[in-house]
Amino acid sequence: MSPPILWLHEEALRISHPVFTAAGEGTRAIFIWDDAYLRARNYSLKRLVFIYECLCALPVEIVHGDMTAVLQTLAPERVFVPAASAPPLKETIANATARMQVMHVPDIPFVTIAREGAMRRFFPYWNKAEKTAFMPHGGTDA
Amino acid sequence: MQPLTKCFADRDALVAHVKQLAPWAEGERSYIQGGRAMAKRKLEQIDPLHYGRTRNYGNGKITRLSPYIHHGVLSLDEVRNHALTLCREPMQITKFIQELAWRDFWQRVLAQHPEWAWNDVEPYKTGFTASDYASDLPQDIATGTTGIACIDAFIQELLHTGYLHNHARMYVASYVVHFRRVRWQAGAEWFLHHLLDGDIASNNLSWQWVASTFSQKPYIFTLENVATYFGAPLDTSPEHNQPLDASYAELRARLFPLLKEHA
Repeated sequence: MSPPILWLHEEALRISHPVFTAAGEGTRAIFIWDDAYLRARNYSLKRLVFIYECLCALPVEIVHGDMTAVLQTLAPERVFVPAASAPPLKETIANATARMQVMHVPDIPFVTIAREGAMRRFFPYWNKAEKTAFMPHGGTDA
Repeated sequence: MQPLTKCFADRDALVAHVKQLAPWAEGERSYIQGGRAMAKRKLEQIDPLHYGRTRNYGNGKITRLSPYIHHGVLSLDEVRNHALTLCREPMQITKFIQELAWRDFWQRVLAQHPEWAWNDVEPYKTGFTASDYASDLPQDIATGTTGIACIDAFIQELLHTGYLHNHARMYVASYVVHFRRVRWQAGAEWFLHHLLDGDIASNNLSWQWVASTFSQKPYIFTLENVATYFGAPLDTSPEHNQPLDASYAELRARLFPLLKEHA
């Protein structure tokens, strides 16, 4: 086993994301530029350039390769990864980190909702959300 | 495992590098640049106090932060916290905070129902069934050559910049689904390809809202509405936008002939 790594992905391209704190100073941070994944997402060149520009401003290594293969080669004892929201990205992360110890680190919440209930229409959500929507860190102590 | 370079002489060199990495990727760069410094600069320029009254207008005080928020360069929390420093009372910026909340809402909806990303949540409320809609996006829409001046202008902006005002997104989505009777999925996929802020939750569920598969009724618009909110320099002349030049009642009767009430 190798030391832990921080695996950054396209939904969390900033150094103030809580994943950096969770992983700890000195943890190797990587972004995996996976051709097959990006092609499957059918991103235009505009989107790819935008992502690459974001990466250039971050203290991460951009590793070129298949996500699963890169992680298997690195064989970290633990992977710190920002919690993802897009279903294809979530699935990719789950597949690539299968049989690895993974810590999914959520972003700072926008609001705090104790009992979420069924999400379907905006205003029932807003009636709960507005209690903390005007508070820094969504009413948490983050 | 040699890392890819992050040092470039200029933006042209970076773009050339990305083209080499992804020769299959279509199109050209956007004028909108990624990176934390650009995001912070745009964040400093927001005007949440005037956002609520002007946000539906093409020249309104919108933030254009969505590409940075989608990629996590800025968090919703950070944007909200900065906006709060620009008002005396939080209630002055309710509309602005609500707009941020929409993104949070869509994320929560999709987390509960990932199958809604590509499946109709409800049937269409247009008098038609899903099978009445074309599966593929027509080429003239994909290239912004429909012959309808304002729609083509919006599409050209999408293709060249990867960004589109939210109101214009609704016009284009409505045109695709209701004026051309194309399934919302084809339009949503097309937007995800181009939009720098392309987010499956916000994008696809908004397309479903326009289509009426995730709302009470289909969203349609008139040429008069486009002229009111966008106007010059956009060409909203009736002669160059003929299919849109009608009243709401006329459009409902034309677009949804199987519905009983058009009043």
